[in-house]
Amino acid sequence: MGSVDAALKPRLRLRTPSEYAGWVLSILVGIGILVSVLTNPNFKWGIVGKYFFAESILRGLMLTIFLTVASMALGTLLGLALAVMRASHVKPVSIAAGLYITLFRGTPVLVQLIFWFNISALYPNLRIGIPFTDIGTAVDMNAIMGPITAALVGLTLNQAAYMAEIIRGGFSAVGKGQIEAADSLGMSGSMKMRKVIIPQAMPSIIPATGNQFIGMFKETSLVSVLGVAELLQSAQLIYARTYETIPLLIVASLWYLVMTLLLSYPQSQLEKRYSRATSTLPRKAKRVALTEPEGAAR
Amino acid sequence: MSTDGTIHARGIRKSFGSKSVLQNIDLDVASGEVCCIIGPSGSGKSTLLRCINGLETVDSGVLKVNGENFGYYETDTAYHALSKKKLAEQRTRVGMVFQQFNLFPNMTAQENVMSGPVLVKGHDKKKAAVRAYELLASVGLSGHGHKYPAQLSGGQQQRVAIARSLAMDPEIMLFDEPTSALDPEKVGEVLAVMKDLAKKGMTMVVVTHEMGFAREVSDSLLFMDEGYVIERGDARDVLGSPKERRTQAFLEKVL
Repeated sequence: MGSVDAALKPRLRLRTPSEYAGWVLSILVGIGILVSVLTNPNFKWGIVGKYFFAESILRGLMLTIFLTVASMALGTLLGLALAVMRASHVKPVSIAAGLYITLFRGTPVLVQLIFWFNISALYPNLRIGIPFTDIGTAVDMNAIMGPITAALVGLTLNQAAYMAEIIRGGFSAVGKGQIEAADSLGMSGSMKMRKVIIPQAMPSIIPATGNQFIGMFKETSLVSVLGVAELLQSAQLIYARTYETIPLLIVASLWYLVMTLLLSYPQSQLEKRYSRATSTLPRKAKRVALTEPEGAAR
Repeated sequence: MSTDGTIHARGIRKSFGSKSVLQNIDLDVASGEVCCIIGPSGSGKSTLLRCINGLETVDSGVLKVNGENFGYYETDTAYHALSKKKLAEQRTRVGMVFQQFNLFPNMTAQENVMSGPVLVKGHDKKKAAVRAYELLASVGLSGHGHKYPAQLSGGQQQRVAIARSLAMDPEIMLFDEPTSALDPEKVGEVLAVMKDLAKKGMTMVVVTHEMGFAREVSDSLLFMDEGYVIERGDARDVLGSPKERRTQAFLEKVL
C-alpha cells in the first residue's frame, strides 16, 4: 500500500447502492422472462418457425410494404400542397388547409379507414364536375372503393395532414431575412420556394419524414379491419383456421420488428447527416469546379 | 434628363397598426448621390429604406424610384398595386444589403452572386459565373467563390451580399445598417467596398451608425427621429454643427 505514485492513481467513480440494485433487478427480471418464453409450450416456437416464411405471410408483408410506400409518397405530395396552401396569403385557401389538417389529425385513423370503406353509403355515385351544371362524369362508388383502395385513401389522407404540419414547421424554420433577400432580388414565388425555402427546410423535414415512414409501417396493421390481406390480416387468416393465435401473432410481430430495425439504421444516418448540415456545411463538394470558370479575368 | 438612379418621395406616411413609423417624409436622391440616414433605433430609418425596394409598402404619399411610381401605377383617382411580376422587375433595379447579410446558406458564395442573374433574369450560367467571379474579385474575394456562407467571416459574407446585389446591375443600392452585425475589426473592409462603389457613381442610400463614413462619403444626410426627418443637409454641416436640439443630443451620445 502507498506504493502507487499519488499522481498516477486512478480516479474511481461513485457507485451507489441503487446502481447495484438496478443491475440485480434487471438481470433477475430478464432471466425470468427468458425462462418463461423458452419453457412455456404455448409459445409454440416450432409453429412460429414453420409460418415465418410461409407464402401467404410473405405476400402480406409485400402488401404492407406497398401500402406504406404508396401512402407515404402520396401523403407527402398532398401534405406539401396543404403546407403551401396553409402558408397562402389568400385567407380562404389557408383556412381550408387548416380545417383539413384539424379534421384529419383530430379523428382516429381507424375511424377514418372504416369511414372511407363505407363511403358509398354517403355518396353512392361520385360525380366529378362543376356544381349546378351538367359538366362532369359520375362513377359508381361501390365499384371503386374496394378494401385496398379504401386503405390507401384512408392512410394517404391521414398522413397528408401530419406531413403538412411537418413541412409547414420546416418552412417556418427558414428565416424571414432569407425570404426578404429572395424578394429583393426579384424572385418569383415559385422560384423562392424551390431555390430558397425548400432546400433550407429539408434538413428538418427529412428526418421527421423518416420517422413518419417507420410509424406508417406499423400503422398499416389497422387496415386489417377492412379485410385487406396485409401482414397482420394474413396471420389472422391462418390462425382463424388453425387456432394457433399466439404463434402467428408472434410471426407478424417479428416481421414488424425486423422491418422497423432495418429502417431505423438509415433513419439514424439521415438524422445525423441533417443535424450536421444545418449547423455548417452542405455536402456538395463537386460544385467547387464552378469557382474559376474558363475565361475569367485573373 | 434621365431619371435612372433617382429617388423622389413626397409626404410618405406609413404605420404599423396604430403606430406611425413614417410621418410626412420627403426625400430626393439624385443619380450618383450618396445619402446617409442616421437616427436612434425605432426612428423609422430602416422602414423608409425598406419602402424603397418594396419590402414594406407606403400607406400614402408619392414614391418614385428610377422615375417610376414604385410598386403602383397611377390613375386619375388612385394608385393601383402592380402585378407581382412588374413589382419584381422594379425591384431588380434596386439592390438591397441587409444588416444580417441574408446570404443563401445552401449556395456557395459564387452561386449566391449568380442567383439573381441566372434564376431571375435567366442569364446563361457560364457567363453569369464569369461575371460572379469578377464581382467577387472586385469586393476582394477572389478565390472564395467555392465557399459556403458558413465558411466565411461576417465581413466576407457582407461583401458577398454586396456582390450578389451588384450582379443584378441595379441603378440604386440600399444599405440597411450593413456593418452593425460585424465584429469591429471587420467593419473597415465592408466600408471600403462601399466607398469604392460610391466613387464609381452608384446611387446609394445608407442607413448607418458609422458617422465617419457618413461624413467622408455622403453627399446628403438625413437625421430621423420618431418617424420624422428632423434635420437634413450637407453631411459635414449636419454632423459638424447640427441646428436642431434633438440632432445635437443624438450626436453627443454617439460621437
